[in-house]
Amino acid sequence: MATPSDSEAGPNPKPVEELETESATNDEHHGEDEDEIEDEEEEEEGDDEEEAEEDETPAAQRENINRLFRRLSGGPVRLRVQDIIIRGNTKTKDALIEAEVLDAFRSACSMQELIQAAGLANTRLRQLDIFDSVSITLDSGPSELPGTANVVIDVVEARNPLTGEFGAYSKPEARSWSLEGSLKLKNLFGYGDIWDASGAYGFGQTSEISAGVSLPRFKAISTPLTTRVSLLSQDWLKFSSYKERLLGLSVGLISTGNHDLAYNLTWRNLSDPSHMSSKTIRRQLGHSLLSSLKYTYRIDHRDSNLRPTRGYAFLSTSQFGGLGPDSRIIRFIRQEFDVRGAFPLGFYNAAVNFGVAAGAIMPWGRGFMDSTSPLPERFYMGGHSSPICSLGGPTSLLGFKLRGVGPTDERRAILTKHGEDEATTPSGRIASPGGDAIGGNLAVTAFADLSFDLPLKLFRESGVHGHMFLNTGNVVDLTLAEFKNFSFRGFLETFRSSAGFGIIFPTRFFRMEINYCYILKQLQHDHGKTGIQFSFSTP
Amino acid sequence: MEMADEREEEAKQEVVLVARKGGFGLPTACPVCLPVYCHLRFANVDFKLEFDRANPDSDHIPYVEYGDHVTFNNEKGGVIECLNEDNVVKLDSQLSKDCFPDWASTKVMISTWLAEAVQYELWVSCDNTIADDIYFSDLPWPIGKILHWKQTQAVKQLHGITKLNAAEKEEEIYRKANIAYEALSMKLGSQVFFFEGRPTSVDSLFLGHAVFVLHVLPETSVLRSSLSKHANLLRFVQDCKIRLLEDSYSSATGPAFSSDASSSSIPRRKGSKQNAKTKPKEKRERTEEEKAFRRRAKYFIAAQVVSIVIYLSILGGMGDSGLEDGDEDGLAYEE
Repeated sequence: MATPSDSEAGPNPKPVEELETESATNDEHHGEDEDEIEDEEEEEEGDDEEEAEEDETPAAQRENINRLFRRLSGGPVRLRVQDIIIRGNTKTKDALIEAEVLDAFRSACSMQELIQAAGLANTRLRQLDIFDSVSITLDSGPSELPGTANVVIDVVEARNPLTGEFGAYSKPEARSWSLEGSLKLKNLFGYGDIWDASGAYGFGQTSEISAGVSLPRFKAISTPLTTRVSLLSQDWLKFSSYKERLLGLSVGLISTGNHDLAYNLTWRNLSDPSHMSSKTIRRQLGHSLLSSLKYTYRIDHRDSNLRPTRGYAFLSTSQFGGLGPDSRIIRFIRQEFDVRGAFPLGFYNAAVNFGVAAGAIMPWGRGFMDSTSPLPERFYMGGHSSPICSLGGPTSLLGFKLRGVGPTDERRAILTKHGEDEATTPSGRIASPGGDAIGGNLAVTAFADLSFDLPLKLFRESGVHGHMFLNTGNVVDLTLAEFKNFSFRGFLETFRSSAGFGIIFPTRFFRMEINYCYILKQLQHDHGKTGIQFSFSTP
Repeated sequence: MEMADEREEEAKQEVVLVARKGGFGLPTACPVCLPVYCHLRFANVDFKLEFDRANPDSDHIPYVEYGDHVTFNNEKGGVIECLNEDNVVKLDSQLSKDCFPDWASTKVMISTWLAEAVQYELWVSCDNTIADDIYFSDLPWPIGKILHWKQTQAVKQLHGITKLNAAEKEEEIYRKANIAYEALSMKLGSQVFFFEGRPTSVDSLFLGHAVFVLHVLPETSVLRSSLSKHANLLRFVQDCKIRLLEDSYSSATGPAFSSDASSSSIPRRKGSKQNAKTKPKEKRERTEEEKAFRRRAKYFIAAQVVSIVIYLSILGGMGDSGLEDGDEDGLAYEE
């Protein structure tokens, strides 16, 4: 029944139906291939004879295709895959490509399912990010095996396996910019391996060098496996009087849509070059080894990351530190929950977003009742990142500076001689050395946000919209020894809160907000400020 | 509330010496921390001793906290100088002008020649185990090894020691140390203290140095044998040790950052009292710790092996297989 679309019919006397699902890495309309059967012809150039033949039988071809459509829409057409033929891979191992597509084709037993499977296989191969183009063709099987089809996969490997990126990014909440660059080397050994090296330098705060490798699959493990080595330096002198230097190895063991399991081995050094740290910070300075397993379960059924109007999301992050027989490794258990919801109001494209997040950390091991949790793993609240976009745990509280909420400890007082400094107290010391944010081991935040379209059509078309919000949160330093004296009422009474309104400018890569925040409640050592603030968030 | 405020006020005013941990029968086994300890003891300052186990390579230790103030060892000439300037300890403030030049040069001699000799023996010539016990035993093994190597290289670089000139440098270091011991012995004579019949920072510095040499360095140490030749210096050490260190042993209330000497480097909020018989207890604890360590290691390895086997067997059952041949339905594709 099928009409040959290619004059090079070959030895197979039976008619051939070629259904091609083709997409290049830059093709944005790949989704349409799953629903349509495109009879696209890839002809060799400059073959007059072939062109002549095509011109001669277009009507017959159209008739064949129409007949095919009628048959396919009439019911399932029984067909199964006999063989998978891979062409074009000079470096990439056949086993890798087969492993990506076998599951999709194995279960298909009709033409319709095969076409869907071809689309799915195409997507998976493109996601490997090692091919310039992927083309899947369904060809008829051997003549002695009726009802079978061969799948022909044509791949074009990346011509230039080395790619690089470089950019400058602004971080208003840290009042700094950062330069970030990365190099990526794809498919070096033919296993779909992607090697990358990246560096980031943030003026005044963070610098990082890292290198990693990711494998789409490793032997029997069908989920992607990633390994990364990084050297990171982070400056918290302004907020907590310490600098953090990390040399870490992280291994992503499981990474599926909802589940993520990673192991982390990090050598960390906290130092205070300013010699101004408080007692709590001083006691935690020094070298330590972190060996932890982190499991993240995430579901996000919201309709959008940048402006959710319906749906819900849930995040649970569990971290267990202290893996290993050595009792000198940092031991702690950390748990975070984050729940979000959104529902539309039905007018002006308005929607209400709300969320609650909570987290706790505690040490374990000998003497854990009197121990303190490690400083960098504790909860710090504050900063201008929006709580809507990303599920980040109990960290953001609009209106408050970075690490501006929570327990503090007074910094070192410096003795001066009388009369040298007008700010000194009669005892001869500087009046207010300031405080270090020391974080807490129990944190809770909640927010409610009403978003709505703005009256101007220009804004509506570009996605710019307005919002009003209400934030509240609290973080306390609650040790296990003090847990007996914990007062829930006291905890509720010390919640900080802020409210405000603003305009949101969503772009493809980030979401910018210009907000007016009003601090409703803050405690003595908090750093909240009423006024206009900018925030940048990435989904 | 008033009692709590008073306790808080007292806590703020108490003097705390944060030093490296004790060992070898000493309240603190670090040669840099011992002089500060002795200085506070000479001044009869009531202080609390706490340990820092996570900064073996930092020069800010030892440091002294009093109220909201702190003096670090890498500021303004050191902790002893700062304590004198802040009038927390007044041992050096009443020195007469006549003995000041002699006192200053003696202090410099101890702080440079003798301190360098101790550094050389501890990091270069002696067995690694001594430095490991003092500085790295509370850090995880890989960190301890790397930091030990770094510190050894730093000391060699500081003294300009290379493979070519190692012997010459060693001879020079020991020659200076011998000269220093001889000068100190002549200065001390039959006196109880070096200057004015009372303790000053010179006594603190030398006592800290000598106690370390005699208790921590092995018997084969060249420095130890040099010091042992001077009977009056040994007498001085013995007298002061009895008066200062053994008293502190029996009544020390220094809270450790953790109650277990081999535990994590994260400090505790509330400390525990030190046992007077530290050395034999350390040996008992070490044996128990070894047993516990081995037992935990076995459980850990067994758990890892079991989990890997289970994981691979589950995933192996879900492993890829080729396309199935011969579908039983096998309906042909009909035109």
